[in-house]
Amino acid sequence: MKEKTQVEDIDRSLYDFRYEEDESNYLGSGITAEIIREISEEKNDTEWMREFRLRSMEIYNRTPMVEWGPSIEGLDVDNIVTYIRTKSRMSNDWEEVPEDVKDTFEKLGIPQAERESLAGVGAQYDSELVYHNVRKEVAESGVVYTDLESAMHDERYAEMIRSHFMKLVPPTDHKFAALHGAVWSGGSFVYVPRGVKLEIPLQSYFRLNARGAGQFEHTLIILEEDSYLHFIEGCSAPKYYEAGLHAGCVELYVGKNATLRYSTIENWSKNMYNLNTKRALVDEGGKIEWVSGSFGSHVSYLYPMSILNGRGARAEFTGITFAGEGQNLDTGAKIVHNAPDTSSYMNTKSISKSGGISTFRSAVTVNEKAVGSKSAVSCESLMLDRISRSDTIPVMDIRTDKADVGHEARIGRISDETVFYLMSRGLSEEEAKAMIVRGFADNVSKELPLEYAVEMNNLIGLEMKGSIG
Amino acid sequence: MSQLLEIKGLRAGVEEKELLHGVNLSVGAGETHVLMGPNGAGKSTLGSVIMGSPEYEVTSGSIFFEGEDITEESADKRAKRGLFLSFQNPVEISGISLSEFLRNALEQITGKHMKLWDFKKKLKAAMEILGMDSAYADRDLNAGFSGGEKKKAEILQLLILEPKLAILDETDSGLDVDAVKTVSAGIEEYRKRTGGTLIVITHNTKILEALNVDKTHILAAGKVVTEGDGTLVEDVLENGFERYINGGK
Amino acid sequence: MEKVILNKLPVATFGWLNVNGAERDIESFGTGEEVFTELTGTAGSPAEAEISGGRQRFLINAKNGAEKKAIIYISGDEGATLDIEVKAQAGSRVKLVEVFEHSGAVLNEVKADIGEGAGFELVQLYIGGKDIVSGTDAKLTGRNAEFTADIGYLLEGKEKLDINLVADHRGKKSSSEINVRGVLGDEAEKVFRGTIDFKNGAVGAKGAENEEVLLMDEKVRNKTVPLILCAEEDVEGSHGASIGRIDEGQVFYMESRGIPREKIYELMARAKIAQVAAKIGHEATEQRIAGLIGGGEESE
Repeated sequence: MKEKTQVEDIDRSLYDFRYEEDESNYLGSGITAEIIREISEEKNDTEWMREFRLRSMEIYNRTPMVEWGPSIEGLDVDNIVTYIRTKSRMSNDWEEVPEDVKDTFEKLGIPQAERESLAGVGAQYDSELVYHNVRKEVAESGVVYTDLESAMHDERYAEMIRSHFMKLVPPTDHKFAALHGAVWSGGSFVYVPRGVKLEIPLQSYFRLNARGAGQFEHTLIILEEDSYLHFIEGCSAPKYYEAGLHAGCVELYVGKNATLRYSTIENWSKNMYNLNTKRALVDEGGKIEWVSGSFGSHVSYLYPMSILNGRGARAEFTGITFAGEGQNLDTGAKIVHNAPDTSSYMNTKSISKSGGISTFRSAVTVNEKAVGSKSAVSCESLMLDRISRSDTIPVMDIRTDKADVGHEARIGRISDETVFYLMSRGLSEEEAKAMIVRGFADNVSKELPLEYAVEMNNLIGLEMKGSIG
Repeated sequence: MSQLLEIKGLRAGVEEKELLHGVNLSVGAGETHVLMGPNGAGKSTLGSVIMGSPEYEVTSGSIFFEGEDITEESADKRAKRGLFLSFQNPVEISGISLSEFLRNALEQITGKHMKLWDFKKKLKAAMEILGMDSAYADRDLNAGFSGGEKKKAEILQLLILEPKLAILDETDSGLDVDAVKTVSAGIEEYRKRTGGTLIVITHNTKILEALNVDKTHILAAGKVVTEGDGTLVEDVLENGFERYINGGK
Repeated sequence: MEKVILNKLPVATFGWLNVNGAERDIESFGTGEEVFTELTGTAGSPAEAEISGGRQRFLINAKNGAEKKAIIYISGDEGATLDIEVKAQAGSRVKLVEVFEHSGAVLNEVKADIGEGAGFELVQLYIGGKDIVSGTDAKLTGRNAEFTADIGYLLEGKEKLDINLVADHRGKKSSSEINVRGVLGDEAEKVFRGTIDFKNGAVGAKGAENEEVLLMDEKVRNKTVPLILCAEEDVEGSHGASIGRIDEGQVFYMESRGIPREKIYELMARAKIAQVAAKIGHEATEQRIAGLIGGGEESE
C-alpha cells in the first residue's frame, strides 16, 4: 500500500539564525515591583505610566488564568526576562543601527522592503525599537509614525496617548493584558490626520532575539475621520529550548468613515507562547480589515476583536492558521455589533499536520442596539494526517430580532479523487497535494501582502517535496 | 372611463441609484399590454414597484389603481385590490405547502372562509389546466421545483386568486416549447374566465400568440421611450430596439 | 438551593459569553422517588408515556436487529426530571420522540449508545416550556452507526430552553445529521450547543449539523454554539447556522399574494415546527402537535 504524502512544516531556517546576547543587559526575570520600577526608570516613564505599571502588576497578581484554551503549563512567567536594555538609542538612520541587529534585519529583508514598497518602517529588537523611519512626504502629510515612548514625551501627543493607552484593552481584561500593562516596552504609535489616505503601507517588524525572554510591544493606532492606512506587522524569533513569551497589545481606533487594514504575519519560533491581544474600535461608517497569518509559535491565543460602535461600521477578518508538529494554535476573531446597520464578515482557513492542533474560536455578538446588522462567518479546516487535531468553536449571541447572522463551517481532508484527477493530468502526487493545499489557502493568501503570500506559497510547495513515502 | 392602472412620473430606485426616471403608463380595464426593452431597462423593476416591493424606494410620482393612489400601500393591500405579479424568480418557502399557502392567500383576499373540500376541488381543476401533478399541492411552496414548475405554480396562483390586473414578468423565459404552451393556456383561461387585465413583460412572441395585444410599451434606461399597438412587438423583434431608443432621446 | 452546572460545553470557550454550561438550581426540576419504566414499543405500535412531573428514568433497549419506537409527552407546570437511556445494539433501529407541551422546568437527559449498523433517530419538539434544560449524548460506537436528530422549538413569553447535544463519533463510517429549526418570540431565550466530535479512529465518519432560527420580536435572546471537534483525517464535517428574521424576499412574495405581515409570521412559525413534526411518523402525535400550534390543514 502506498504511503500518505506528508506536508512538511514551513521551513524556518530563515528565521532561526541568532546573535548571542550580553546578559548584563537583562533586567532580571519575572514580575516584581522592583523590576517594574527599574523598567520605568530605564524608560524615563511619566508619572501616570509609573503608576499604571504598578497597578497593572497588582491586577496581574490577583487575576486567575483563563479556564479554556491550550495549556500554557510550559510557560514560567517568573523566569521570563521581561526587559532587555538596548545597546543603542533608537535611530532613523540605518547606518547607526548596531551591526548584529542590522544584519538580522537585513537577512529578514526589512530595509529592502522599505526601499521598495513601504511608506515607513519600524523595527523592534527584543524590548526596544532600534530603527524607525518614515518617508518625507508621508511625514509632511501630518502622519505620525514613531515609537510610543518618545511620543509619550512629546507634548503634541502626550494627552492623546494617555487618553487612549490601554483603554480599549484594559489590564483587567485578562491576566496577560495585565502583564502587558506592567512590563510593556517598545511598539509603535501611529496617527493619521483627518482626510489623509496613505496609499502605501507602514510596517513594523518585531524580532525577539534573546533567550528565554518576553516581548511586550504596544501598538497604538489612531485614524481620524476619512483617513486610510494599511499597517503591516511581522514577527519572528530564532529557536531556543527555553520558552519565550510574546504578550503584545494592539489598540486601533478607527474614526468616522476611516478604513484601517491591519495585516499580520506571525512566524514566531516553536518555543514561543504567543498570547497577544488585539482590538479595534470602529466609529460610524468606518471599517477595520484584519488579515492574519499564524504559522509559528508553540502555543497561540489570538482573537483580534472588532467593536463596531458607530452606525454602519464594518469589520472584515481573513485568517489562516497552519499548525505543524508541536504546535497548538488557538486562533479566531471576536466581533461585537454595538450600533445599527453594522456588518461583519469572517473567513478563515486552518490546516493541521504532523500532530499539530489548530482551533478556530470565534464570538459574534449582536447587541440590542445593533438593529439591521449583518454577520457572516465561514471557516474551513483541513486535516493532513490522522495524528493531528482541528477544532471549531464558534459562538453567536444574538439579542435583537433585526439581525441577519449566518455561519458555516466545514472540515475535511484532501480528497483522493481530486489528487487522482490532478495526477491523471500529469502532476505528481506531491505537486497535486501542494496545489490543493495552496488552493485551499488561496483566498486568504491573496489578501496577504505580496511578499508574504509568495513566501507562504513557496514554502507549501517546497516542503511538500520529497515527502512521499 | 378612468384607467385601471395609471402611473404618473414614477421615479424609483435602490439606495442612491435611481432606476426608473419618470415612468408614465396607463392601462385600461380588460386590456393586454406588452412591456419590452433591452436588459437592464427597468422592466422587472417597474413590475416590482407596481406590486409594492420594499426593495425599491419610490422617490416621486404616483401609482393609481382604480383611481386610488396606492403608491404607499403594502403589497398585501395591493393584492386585495386585485393586483398580481407573476415573479421572474419565485421564492422557495419550506414548511408551507403550496395548497396551504394558496388557501390562506385566497381567504385573505376574499375575506371569506372556504371549505377545505371546495378549495381542494378548485385547486385540482386549475392544476389540470396546467398539467400539474396534483402531488405538487402538498409539496412545500416552490421548494425544489424546477424552473418550469415554478412558473406553472405562479400561473396556478393567478387562476385561483383571479386578480383584476396581472403583471407577468418573463413568465415564459427558460421554458421549453411545450411548457410555454401550457402556461399560455393558463393565461388564456384567466382572460376568458375573468376578462382580467394583463401587463406582459417578455422577450418573445410565443406567449403572446393567443393574446390580443392592445398596446406595447418600450422601456429603455428607466423610461418609456415608445408606445404603439400590437404590431410594435413584431417590429421590435425584427428590427431590434435601437431605433426606438435613439429616437426616444 | 443547590446550584449546579448542567449542559457543559465539551470544550470550554470565552467565559464572558456564558455558554460553557447552564447554571440551575437542581431543586427546580423534578424531585421525589425515581420511577423507572422500560419502553418496549415498536415502530408499528410505539410506546407512549405522558409525564407531568417527578423523576423519571426510562430505558429503551433494542437488541440486535430489533426496532423500537417511543413517544414521550411532557406537560404540566410541575418540575420534571427525565433520564433516558437508549441502547441501540447491532443492526437495531430506535426512534425516540419527545414532545414538550408548555411544560414547567424540565431537566431532560438522553444518553444513547449506538452499535454497529444501528440507527438512532431522535425527534424533539419544544412547544413552549418554562425552563427546559435538555442534554443529549449520542455515542456512535459501532461501525456504520447512524444518528439523526430533528429538533424544533417554538418559544414565547419568558420561556427558556437550553440544549446541549453531542454526536460522539467513535465507530468507523458512523454518520450523524442534526437539524434544528426554531422560532423565538417575545422575550424567549434559547441556547443551542451542538457538537460533532470525531474521535481518533472514526475513519470515514460524516457529520452535519444545521440550525435555522427565526427571530420574531425585539427582545428575544439567541445563542448558537455549533462545535466540530476533530482528531481523525478521513472525516467530513460541516455545520451551518442562519439566524434572523424572515427573509424579506419571502415576505414580499407572500404579501403580494394578499397575506398580511402578522399572518406571514404565524405561517412561518408554524412551518418550522411542521417540518420537524413531519419526522415523527405517527399520525396521532402529528395531529396533537398541529392542535398545539394551531392551523395546519384541518380535516373536514
